[in-house]
Amino acid sequence: MARHAPSGRKIPTDHLEKMEGRTLPQILAMQAELFGREHIAIREKAYGIWQAHTWEDYLRYARYTGLGLKALGLTRHDHVAMIVNNHPEWLFTQLGAQAFGAVTLNLFTSAVAPELAGALARIQAGFVIVQDQEQVDKLLEQTANLPHLKAIIYIDPTGMRGYAGNRLLMSFKDLLELGKIHEARHPGLFLDELAKGKADETAHMIMTSGTTGVSKLAMLSHRNYAAMGRKWIASAPVTIGANWLSMTPPAWIVDQMWAFGVSLLGGMTMNFPETPETVTADFRDIGPSLLISSSRFWEDLASRIRVKVDDAGPVHRAAFGLAERIGMACIERAEKRRPVGPGLRGLHWLARLLVFNPLLDRVGCSGFESAYTGGHPISPDVIRFFRACGLNLKQCYGLTETCGIFQVQPDDEVKPETVGTALPDTQVKISSDQEVMVLSASVFTGYYNDYEATEAAFEHGWFLTGDAGYFDDDGHLVIIGRKQDIIRDKEGNAFSPDFIETRLKFSLFIKEAVIFGEGRPFITALINIDMGNTGNWAEDRMIPYTTYTDLSQRPEVEQLILEEVRKVNDQLPQRMKIKRFILLYKLLDADDEELTRTGKVRRRFVYGLYLPMIEAMYQGLDSLPVKGKVRYRDGQVGMIETTANVITVY
Amino acid sequence: MAGRQAELEVRGLSLAFGGIQAIKDVSLSVHTGELVAVIGPNGAGKTSLLNCITGFYRATSGDITFNGKSIVNMHTHKLTSLGIGRTFQNIELFPGMTVLQNMLLARHTRSKYNFGLACLYAPAVKREEVRHHEILEEIIDFLEMQSIRKELVGSLPYGMRKRVELGRALASEPSLLVLDEPFAGMTLEEKEDMVRFLLELHDGWGQTMILVEHDMSIVMSISERVIVLNFGEKLAEGLPEEIQDHPDVIRAYLGDTMDLGLGASEGA
Repeated sequence: MARHAPSGRKIPTDHLEKMEGRTLPQILAMQAELFGREHIAIREKAYGIWQAHTWEDYLRYARYTGLGLKALGLTRHDHVAMIVNNHPEWLFTQLGAQAFGAVTLNLFTSAVAPELAGALARIQAGFVIVQDQEQVDKLLEQTANLPHLKAIIYIDPTGMRGYAGNRLLMSFKDLLELGKIHEARHPGLFLDELAKGKADETAHMIMTSGTTGVSKLAMLSHRNYAAMGRKWIASAPVTIGANWLSMTPPAWIVDQMWAFGVSLLGGMTMNFPETPETVTADFRDIGPSLLISSSRFWEDLASRIRVKVDDAGPVHRAAFGLAERIGMACIERAEKRRPVGPGLRGLHWLARLLVFNPLLDRVGCSGFESAYTGGHPISPDVIRFFRACGLNLKQCYGLTETCGIFQVQPDDEVKPETVGTALPDTQVKISSDQEVMVLSASVFTGYYNDYEATEAAFEHGWFLTGDAGYFDDDGHLVIIGRKQDIIRDKEGNAFSPDFIETRLKFSLFIKEAVIFGEGRPFITALINIDMGNTGNWAEDRMIPYTTYTDLSQRPEVEQLILEEVRKVNDQLPQRMKIKRFILLYKLLDADDEELTRTGKVRRRFVYGLYLPMIEAMYQGLDSLPVKGKVRYRDGQVGMIETTANVITVY
Repeated sequence: MAGRQAELEVRGLSLAFGGIQAIKDVSLSVHTGELVAVIGPNGAGKTSLLNCITGFYRATSGDITFNGKSIVNMHTHKLTSLGIGRTFQNIELFPGMTVLQNMLLARHTRSKYNFGLACLYAPAVKREEVRHHEILEEIIDFLEMQSIRKELVGSLPYGMRKRVELGRALASEPSLLVLDEPFAGMTLEEKEDMVRFLLELHDGWGQTMILVEHDMSIVMSISERVIVLNFGEKLAEGLPEEIQDHPDVIRAYLGDTMDLGLGASEGA
């Protein structure tokens, strides 16, 4: 009988050593043998109940998936693409296909049809596993551009009846069935193919976010994943049966490194939420012990907590205010390395008992041993806020090319501006022009079909991250920003737009901000208001509004944001203060190519798109008429015509 | 739960409220697996007809049979047990209860245990409760309501409540589903979702349905047969395309072109 409770034990070292030089599917087979039906490998919420799969089940499903694809004509080194959400089928497909020597690739489910077709054509994918009818429709629309496509396999059969007879289509259930039949006909085929795998072959490819242009395909080998898993097992509370909640997209590195590196090698349980909308509730059900999430997740959570507190009764508000003051006092002392007195420590204990613990429990964060934020610099205020609440939130740093996170803050040395120290078996150094360089077994093998980019990414075997940084006095790494994003104003003063933007975004009312000022006399910004919070604020003050565009142009809202910008300016050095800004009439959106699919701003693209507005700020105009395009999900394009007001801060 | 026999037969039905004749001698039938729409201008008697079928109104004369059994004088709760489920034009849910509780309530007529056993939570009761929840979860999954199953109905937006109401009607495992304006007041996106659900119910589950609806484009695109009422009388019946071109129907909806003087304007 499988045990649901985490064991509290780490994976035995001798077992871990035996995994050396194995492929990921081979490691899965080892785990299935070791754990059998004793531990839960995968838990998925379906029909309102958490359904569990043991390691034996995991291997069986992966085997059938792989055999099914084989029966459909999969050969070694074929490319298998997945356009799926966080579901167990993703794990089965990835390891199942890799067991037969195929290379896998995940694409974002939110990507539009031509984008998907472009990526599939680039890798000549023969097989695509998709989530549902929506993705099927996108692909069928593009079949003319995808002559190499042999089969589209859909996971969710809802609404698929009308497609009967299309020979490209097959359900995942039928694929498993096919795999089972194929196994009966060719016993031993799976083990033969499994044994052929080599650890240094490419297992998976990840599309880099492409913040600055066309995205590249980073090739990660089985060894890369395994190396990453070892680093984490050695340095974090990764125990057998400990819970991980899979909520970042599979096309992103974080869930990749965790599912196939850390969880696979360390025996952790992968938990999958019911639907993307139920993540918050499912998160609370599971109460994961470890979490790595984007800075955006933590920023959203912090602002959600603040809004809820503001809506609470006076007693709750007062209690929270008091508790926060106590927490902040503790954090400040710890940061300045001053001792925290017994009185304050007692108060903090009380504050945690009475205020913070119930609050963290409400948002599903009470089970954390460690929580990490990565992907993008986070506002130090957010880190302080959570640490004051007693949540062990730490910053980490990593890239797709390094197979994930390799820098983590040590438990007792959390400093807001750093990303801590390197994990075991990882060397980090700074080049002469301030670029961060990494040497580790988890560093990727190269970019797919891009010899030039691969050559440019390495220097004497060291990987060039493209990020500028330095080590502080304690040897902790500080990341300044993307090397190419560091910009200089007219007088030649260097500044990091990210640095200012993250501070602006800690305001409840600001969703997104883009800073400009390259070669200019002063700094300006385009700001997106947060529709939810600003809308609530306006409703409380009886300010009527209709759409986002309308709300963003209300004089009261302009005044509100002006105050927020002034607050941020107070924290910034003189030459980095924002002088003028415009509240943008629409939200920056990945569909309009203004953001990457991971939600990062494509600065240069935004600059080109909104150049007239930016020029207006430098020319000192008070307002200007604007005409903008908005692309809807279905591909239609609408027009917005409005007047943009230039707001001067000082 | 679907695909079960649902033969509805209405013969010479009339309904009067004092001097007002709401329905005059209407006959119609719905067969197993059909999706039939009833349309007509305001006050044509569409909702009155549904209310007669579902036992809310007592017909003045005429007969209604369901699977060969006369139901014309039957109480609403009996009709639910017989397999007739409905939704309302103005949502009739319990706002202070959760989505799941609202739906569980609809399982009442399908539960077999008695009060005493329920108090003891006997194994048989437990098994049955599990079965109820299985059915509800299937419906929740189908209607994509996972994220709201524990929300209070009162806190949900209008379009979502309409969906919950459909869910509750389905929870009673009806062989005939009666829908009173399922699309009224919805946004375009909500309507598209609802169309998707109804088509899936019809094609996939074989659910027999009769619906009243004002949105002509939806009626014409999803129903197999359309019945037109006007001033309490049946004006026409047929395939959607036949109804669209039916001169009487056009007249009922748009008025007589001669009356409006539109015919004369041609010469001007």
